[in-house]
Amino acid sequence: MIKHNRTYSMPRLPLFLSLLATSGLTAAELQVITLKTLTAQMRFDQTEFSVSPGAEVKVVLENTDDMPHNVAIFQPGTDVVAVSNKNVEDPTAVKRDWLPTDPRMIAHSKMVGPKSRDEFTFKAPDKPGVYPYVCTFPGHAGSMQGKMHVTAPCPGLTGTTYAVYLGDWTKLPDFTALKPQSEGTFADNLIRTEFGEMKKGFGAVYTGKLKAPKDGDYTFHLTSDDGARILVDGKKVVEYDGIHPAGDVKEGKVKLKAGEHTFRLEYFQGAGEIELFAAWSGPGFSPTVFTKWAPEGWDGKPAKKKKPDAPSLPLVVGTEPVIYRNFITKSGGRPFAVGYPGGFNLTWSADQMNLALVWRGAFIDAGRHWTDRGGGETSPMGYDVLRPTVDVGPPFAVLSSLNSEWPKSDKAQRPRDYQWQGYTLDNKRVPAFAYAWNGVAVTDRFDAEGDATGSGRLVRTLKLSGPIPANSYLRVAQGTIKAAKSTYLVDGGNFDIQGRTFDNKMDVSVEGAQIAGQNLLVPARPEIVLIYTWTTSHADHAAPNHGHGQ
Amino acid sequence: MKPHARLFLLLLATPFLHAAAPQESDYYKITSFETPRETALEVSSMDILPNGTVTVGTRRGEIWNISNANGDAAKAEFKLFAAGQHEVMGVAWKDGTLYQTNRYEVSKLRDTNGDGRADTFATVTDGWGVSGDYHEYAFGSRFDKNGDLWVLLCLTGSFTSQTDFRGWALRVKPDGTLVPTCSGIRSPGGVGFDADGEVYYTDNQGPWHGACTLQHLIPGTFQGHPGGFKWYDKAANMGKRPTEPNDNSRMVTERARIKELVPPAVYMVHGKIGNSSSFIVCDLSKGKFGPFEKQLFIADQSHSNISRVYLEEVNGVKQGVVFPFRKGFQSGLIGGRMNDTTGQIFAGGSDRGWGAKGGKPYSFERLDWTGKAPFEIHEMRAKPDGFELTFTQPVDPATAGNTASYSAREFTYIYRAEYGSPEVDDVIPKITAAKVSPDKKSVRLTFDTLTKGHIHELHLDGVKSAEGNPVLHPVAYYTLNEIPSK
Repeated sequence: MIKHNRTYSMPRLPLFLSLLATSGLTAAELQVITLKTLTAQMRFDQTEFSVSPGAEVKVVLENTDDMPHNVAIFQPGTDVVAVSNKNVEDPTAVKRDWLPTDPRMIAHSKMVGPKSRDEFTFKAPDKPGVYPYVCTFPGHAGSMQGKMHVTAPCPGLTGTTYAVYLGDWTKLPDFTALKPQSEGTFADNLIRTEFGEMKKGFGAVYTGKLKAPKDGDYTFHLTSDDGARILVDGKKVVEYDGIHPAGDVKEGKVKLKAGEHTFRLEYFQGAGEIELFAAWSGPGFSPTVFTKWAPEGWDGKPAKKKKPDAPSLPLVVGTEPVIYRNFITKSGGRPFAVGYPGGFNLTWSADQMNLALVWRGAFIDAGRHWTDRGGGETSPMGYDVLRPTVDVGPPFAVLSSLNSEWPKSDKAQRPRDYQWQGYTLDNKRVPAFAYAWNGVAVTDRFDAEGDATGSGRLVRTLKLSGPIPANSYLRVAQGTIKAAKSTYLVDGGNFDIQGRTFDNKMDVSVEGAQIAGQNLLVPARPEIVLIYTWTTSHADHAAPNHGHGQ
Repeated sequence: MKPHARLFLLLLATPFLHAAAPQESDYYKITSFETPRETALEVSSMDILPNGTVTVGTRRGEIWNISNANGDAAKAEFKLFAAGQHEVMGVAWKDGTLYQTNRYEVSKLRDTNGDGRADTFATVTDGWGVSGDYHEYAFGSRFDKNGDLWVLLCLTGSFTSQTDFRGWALRVKPDGTLVPTCSGIRSPGGVGFDADGEVYYTDNQGPWHGACTLQHLIPGTFQGHPGGFKWYDKAANMGKRPTEPNDNSRMVTERARIKELVPPAVYMVHGKIGNSSSFIVCDLSKGKFGPFEKQLFIADQSHSNISRVYLEEVNGVKQGVVFPFRKGFQSGLIGGRMNDTTGQIFAGGSDRGWGAKGGKPYSFERLDWTGKAPFEIHEMRAKPDGFELTFTQPVDPATAGNTASYSAREFTYIYRAEYGSPEVDDVIPKITAAKVSPDKKSVRLTFDTLTKGHIHELHLDGVKSAEGNPVLHPVAYYTLNEIPSK
């Protein structure tokens, strides 16, 4: 086939496969895996690689990104996202450079700074299986992970012979009826297509023995330029006949008993490019390539045409708060999401002028909105999501008495007596939201103090200037409310967000609050300071499930 | 494969190009900038500060200031001014303050502590509805000659009007008052001004739009899509709701029925000029951008190109002609602006969600005139019995004066609620005369028939310049809303 641009619709070839094919690698030899980080994408460049059982494995982590990353490998079945998220809650984790203490971790790199590298060597487990790996830096685990496959390769060919034929064909001929021009063996059992100066108009038949390590289904992989077929025990298993470039890798399956089988590969070359690739893989065994050449990107897996899911684009909070405005679930119209240092996060509606959700851990995944057209709502990335007021409605109301019904808000309508005025960022980039209500200028600001996973607190300060209407109240929280000194224990009941259930229990500290049925109200005054914490200490709130929901 | 087959394929693949055949890049050069690695610079809006700094808003909600952008692209500096907004579809600079139009509001951004980043985001207006449908884009203009900003609100899902003023053009007065100004918007792609400060926007092919269009925004008018008519109830200044257009009609027919209906000034002929019109730039560089002073340059997201528009006013209605101008931008163009001092067009965009020929996911580029003028139709004016063409260079009288050098076709689109339209009502006119002016800079074409409301497609494949060059873009599409009486 003449030269043209060829594309393979398959993932990148793990480096070691080609090594395996060319050097007849044994488990005792060193296998080198190079993992790179993708800039600003929170992903490794390879999400899968394979090693042989018991092999010495060197992993090189090249961090080309602008933020720190590591890689930690765990026992099969480990929920690496849960392990990483739990680690973030551990106040000592930062001292370990965010390395988990989970005993299932089998190997790991150091935390690698931007534009740096690290390498580590370990002995691959003897037990075949899928060993997950992950970056344990806070917020990265959701997207930055992959799978290490521990698999033994299928045995290679033995006793490989070749016979070369001359002819001008457009399809594979019946080689048994032809007389070979030359014959020989490949001592290294590696099939190749170089026969002297021959560039066109020839064919070759390769034979050898294969030893199936156990009973089961074996797959033979084939591509060629031009035609080729594989026969096992004399029966055709896979064929790619005719004049064509080496395009998609064809596959054929055959049931084999454990033991020796005969292998025959037939090939012909018309003119132009010369390429031949054959390999096999078996039940629990990784592929072994028979040929000197393998197409770039071949990894033994069938080509997948499936459109990938929206990639994860988590927004990482560093030393400054991060603001994200987009469609966010249960957060009212025109929502803001703000992620604060220390692992506090919230949403605030610039339609209802009120706090909607509070959570801890990772902030927001922008993948949904920054991929394709970006429709639909996203939800908090972290855990322990709270909804202080069950429905996001306007914060203030004038009540004829404390126990009057709180006005119902119509989500479809923007509250008419509120005007959105914008926001300012202070020198630490902490936002203060500003709006007007009934002639009162209000700012609503949140300060994250300490660590959300430990004893940290979220302090909310509302400042009101201008004449405050009589009998005005701020609704602070909704639910079953119990007072304990100046702290109120609020149980807002469970709620669901996109399939995750959260236990809506919080402690709210505020001076001068009053319980009015299901509402915790504070008379409007020039300054109101509220402190939100997740309920952890009180017996009534010893909730076993905090909706980790990962 | 056999050797002789290979030779045949090689022959097929070899273009038969005249060695000196003029190309777009001989006249207008595209320079691509490397954008900051920490973001995807999906440019969606643009303005230029008095000091030449280019400010771009992006679909990811960021605003970047790009300085030193006029020369060597490698020396340009990108600095993040603001982030966290929801799709910045308009940026406008005025008196030391940057105004942005995002999905929810127009706001004033200021850097009060001088660290180069905005720290105050003061709402100017947020008086329109947002339902949560992704297609409800809000495109913002720069300041018009009256000091107003224009906000163009895409329909909900680009089909209906589920919330306040979807499908309308609104003006934002300096005090923040929001004035409902035009109904009939469908899915805007950009808003800009001509040399007189008149306001135009581009709309996209869809219901009631047979093709993308360039439309003249005259306050009080109806721009063609009736989906947002219910908001006349909230727009007392706009008067009575217009008569509904009849389905499966023609623009020229409905114009006669509906007095508020403004026909598109130019149809950006679908598939030929583009498939998704976007930003509008007017050349006010006084010759720095070449021979097309005061003409409009309209970008296309899908075709990753820029087309050229010459407008005139006939019987009080804007109409004109579109020519291909420059293709080959790297991504789908969305935001763009000319630096009026240097005569450079800055253009950027993205192909996210809507594919683009350019092939790159996002881009920021610059288009410079090389100083060499292409041989092109300069202006094309309607006449009672044909058209007058002026050229950028003297023509060869033998070819330009020969009617056989030209061919023409007249067609229109169905004006209907269904999505898009085929080209219909074909008329093949006969060009009866081609008279070259004594200075050889213009040609007067006489047609045996002109059709009011039709797009007049003119090909000039045989016309040569006095130097023997063909017309660089030998095709023109003139939207003949009105036939002049003289």
